[in-house]
Amino acid sequence: MSKKVYFDYASTTYVSNEVLNEMLPCFNAVYGNANSLHGYGREASNIVDRARDRIKNAIGAQKSNEIYFTSGGTEANNWAIRGIAHAYSEKGKHIIVSKIEHKSVLDACACLEEEGYEVSYLNVDKHGLVNMGELLHLIRKDTILVSIMTVNNEIGTIQNVKAIAKICHDYGVIFHTDASQAVGAVRINVQDMEIDAMTITAHKVYGPKGVGALYLKDGLRIENLIYGGSQERGKRGGTVNVPEIAGFGKAVEIANRDIVVNQQKLKNVREYFLRNVTERIDYVIVNGHPLQKVNGILNLCFEMVDKESLLMLLDIEGVAVSTGSACTANSPLQSHVLKAIGLTDEFANSSIRFSFGKNTTKADLDFAIDALVKCVERLRSISAITKAGRK
Amino acid sequence: MFNERILNRFTNPKYAGGLRGANGTGRSEDPARGDIIKIYISVNDENVITDAKFKAYGGVCTIAACDVACYLIEGRSLEAALRTNFYQIKEELGSLPEDRDYAALLAEEAIKNAVEDFYKKKEKDLKSKR
Repeated sequence: MSKKVYFDYASTTYVSNEVLNEMLPCFNAVYGNANSLHGYGREASNIVDRARDRIKNAIGAQKSNEIYFTSGGTEANNWAIRGIAHAYSEKGKHIIVSKIEHKSVLDACACLEEEGYEVSYLNVDKHGLVNMGELLHLIRKDTILVSIMTVNNEIGTIQNVKAIAKICHDYGVIFHTDASQAVGAVRINVQDMEIDAMTITAHKVYGPKGVGALYLKDGLRIENLIYGGSQERGKRGGTVNVPEIAGFGKAVEIANRDIVVNQQKLKNVREYFLRNVTERIDYVIVNGHPLQKVNGILNLCFEMVDKESLLMLLDIEGVAVSTGSACTANSPLQSHVLKAIGLTDEFANSSIRFSFGKNTTKADLDFAIDALVKCVERLRSISAITKAGRK
Repeated sequence: MFNERILNRFTNPKYAGGLRGANGTGRSEDPARGDIIKIYISVNDENVITDAKFKAYGGVCTIAACDVACYLIEGRSLEAALRTNFYQIKEELGSLPEDRDYAALLAEEAIKNAVEDFYKKKEKDLKSKR
């Protein structure tokens, strides 16, 4: 079989063996409904409690019951935005989010706008950092919620979450952050960082797809997104997804345990890849922050090359990459994130995301670099844009 | 997402590249998506397109549509080339995803522009000879 490499870990990861082993007994050995009173149910409930504790410890929450399990990051984001907005509508109907949020935040906001809420979209600088001065300027008396992602999924920029949270609290505004890409990449302590609500997900940290959580600080109110049972303290109905929650808890625990060693590995991987690519290919631009970034994500612009064509050619060569967010990958239109950081349409159209995993090897990198050189050369040879033509 | 025909045209385009001695060039562009294409034609004295090539900055369907466009006009008269349209390009590609229809439109426009460019150049030539 010909070699294949996967450089799309920011879209999703495989499930690690440690996580899988944690999950497997929950499918057929411990199969009770975690809400049942009998022994089978209690056994399942214990597994869920352990997972909740593991997540609580990993994110530095005060209590385990501040963690609410959901079907993933998208549900948690929808719930946080809509649920908090609805719960606090008597105080005001103004929300602030950054322009580079995930679609699940932006679309939830669009929905609220139709309901009569007002949403301000905060600008970011060319590296993807939100403008704090503008945030201060945008906060009003009727502002109830600010939501800014910890790590951007397309360019990997890390926001100054603690400083943003402080500004929000100075004005009595609730602060939510989507930390889907941050777990395992950035140390998170919700108490120290003064985070009120936070979205996390399992499948970016070698856990299963279809499970995530919303951290909600004790005492905050939220309206249900899903009704129908007493699960999650009456806040989120639906039979508790025991196997996935078990895997989620384990995955987050491992991600937190191995954060230093994994980040060091990823730093080497990123540097090696970038050095070789820029040595062998001309006209490459790095999108994102030069320092304040996660090591697993590298967004590169290959001038004069269309992103979709490059992605497909690389796929044929056996290298899987992404044009940005998988949630918007099918669209031939430009990324809202790259637009927000001020990239021209042409450069945004020529940018692709490489995201590396903890087990990415030098052989994988060399293989991908060779393929990349070949594909970029080929597409440039038939490109209707030339360096000379543009100047 | 893309059918076999589109992928084959994309991975092994027969008409990709520049054309030395082209006497007509047609450009078209989709500003919303950023795609830019150029079709080059070489036309003989009988007004028959003897060679057609393209260059493109665009997605999979755009490259495939350009390749089909060149295939459809090579060896044909200018009149026939002018009749080459969106539907023929689409049909030759099998099926285009709905949001990629514009690829076939771009190719059609580039053909028309290439033929027009050829006529303009010819007219200019004749004037200068007079």
